[in-house]
Amino acid sequence: MMESNRGHLLPIYVLADESGSMSANIDDLNDGLRSLHQALLGEPMAAAKVRFSVLGFSDDVVERVRLVDLRSAGEFPRLTTRGMTSYRAAFEDLITRIPADVGSLKAEGYQVHRPAVFFFSDGLPNRGEDWQDAHRRLTDRSVTLGAPNIIACGIVEADAQTINAVATQPEFGFIVNEGVDVGAAIAKFCASLTKSVIASGRSLASSSPQLVVDKPEGFTVAIDVI
Amino acid sequence: MPPPPRPAPDLYPTPPPPEPSVYDWQHDEGFRPGPAQPQPAEVRLGDQWAPIVVDTPVQQFDPRPPTGLSYRPDTICDGWSTDMLDLRLASVRGYQHRYDGRPREDDAAAAWDRDSGTVLFAVADGVSDARQPHIGSQLACRTAVDEMSAQVRAGHCGVTDWTKVLSMVHWQLRAQAGRLLGRPQEAEVEETADLLATTLVAGAATPTAEGVAVGLLWVGDSGIWQIKHDHLYPMKGGKQAGADGLVSSAVRPLPYVPAEPGRFDFVLEPGTTLLVGTDGFGDPVGDGRGPVGRLFATRLREPVPPLGFAHLLDFSRETFDDDRTLVALWPRTPGMGGRR
Repeated sequence: MMESNRGHLLPIYVLADESGSMSANIDDLNDGLRSLHQALLGEPMAAAKVRFSVLGFSDDVVERVRLVDLRSAGEFPRLTTRGMTSYRAAFEDLITRIPADVGSLKAEGYQVHRPAVFFFSDGLPNRGEDWQDAHRRLTDRSVTLGAPNIIACGIVEADAQTINAVATQPEFGFIVNEGVDVGAAIAKFCASLTKSVIASGRSLASSSPQLVVDKPEGFTVAIDVI
Repeated sequence: MPPPPRPAPDLYPTPPPPEPSVYDWQHDEGFRPGPAQPQPAEVRLGDQWAPIVVDTPVQQFDPRPPTGLSYRPDTICDGWSTDMLDLRLASVRGYQHRYDGRPREDDAAAAWDRDSGTVLFAVADGVSDARQPHIGSQLACRTAVDEMSAQVRAGHCGVTDWTKVLSMVHWQLRAQAGRLLGRPQEAEVEETADLLATTLVAGAATPTAEGVAVGLLWVGDSGIWQIKHDHLYPMKGGKQAGADGLVSSAVRPLPYVPAEPGRFDFVLEPGTTLLVGTDGFGDPVGDGRGPVGRLFATRLREPVPPLGFAHLLDFSRETFDDDRTLVALWPRTPGMGGRR
């Protein structure tokens, strides 16, 4: 019989916009993810409690890394720009992916905490596309097993209202402040993401676990700028 | 007849070899170590006391000293026996706290009432998000045990007013929070939670004609287990998975007092072991059927030395790095030294 408590894990998904308009910023995002990886290698106990996936989305979703233990991961495959910006494709992918991943981890004998999605996008979703219904189903805990918390980061000219609608709590939506160097802002958000991943990994063991999301430098909580 | 003559002794006898000297650190040059003595097979304490590994261990590292103004030991353990019960108690700092240089946030306390033979105990888990959780857990344990002791002494029987036990802990936490904030009166509940939030299990084990009557009270996700027939079983408390099967440790800790705190009374049968612990123990034990549950079921069938009890509790298994606190009780046959 498979053991039912091999350990406690937090699945984390980086859902990154790879649409053509990200071409000026995709290198910064790749550098930020590499820094995140390096930082977690220095925090082996926090890293042990996290399984990390990186997904690039445009017209569809490309899985770059799936449920990886960062302590044993090699270099991350790089995100590359392509196509349009379909939020619906991104959320539809998670609607099937997350329950499957949760089921897979549980089948391996792990206890699983509510997944977290870190969403990066530089603009608006495809015009006329109904992504809200997919987003609602994804985040409805009575519909999707493991409905995630979503932390949304808007860069360049992202619409604050949209970013805020993607985030599952008002304090989980962030927009790059006007006039801030975008590359530096992404690096800072990734640093903040690193802290968040480490703190969330740690808080699993506490009596009050929660997704710890600090406001990154150079960002404004999206609801403040609507 | 006189003995034959012998050779005369040496005029300048050869001096006996010098005795090995006692080492004097101020005269190191004159130190003469004695001949090597035969040694028993070398016992490396580092190996003997290395954590017991279950499956994949936590990565090895040297623990950092805890921050904080007052002394907070990494590990505490205790153990004693009454006519009717053997008690062991330990609280060990979690691997993550050792790595981060944070103090142990769990605590425990125990006492005995001589007249009734009642053993009183408490375990608590300070909530990490609070600012002084180790003070909260320590205060909760000691207040609960003091109040239970007072009730037992007053009535010469078990604890009679569990509501008062919780109330005393609640107000002690608020009073302490007020002192920490430099106020002459108690702090508000929210302020107290921000400073000293903690879970609690408090219990009393009273010898009766029918056996050892155990009464337990709990707030939060600490739990109660029993070892019987070589298996470890959860009895009450602990973490529960949500409807979607995901785990959550979200807890409403003291100083918040629930409308209906957990309460449980039962008789501890001979040949069983009662375990009361924080989630740092409960999480890896789970339903008791995994390797951690089997480890404790095997090792705690009978009382073990207190240091061995703490060593067992400090086992190493990846992702289980919270503080751990455990109290174990074994019923005895009457009379000091009586067998279980």
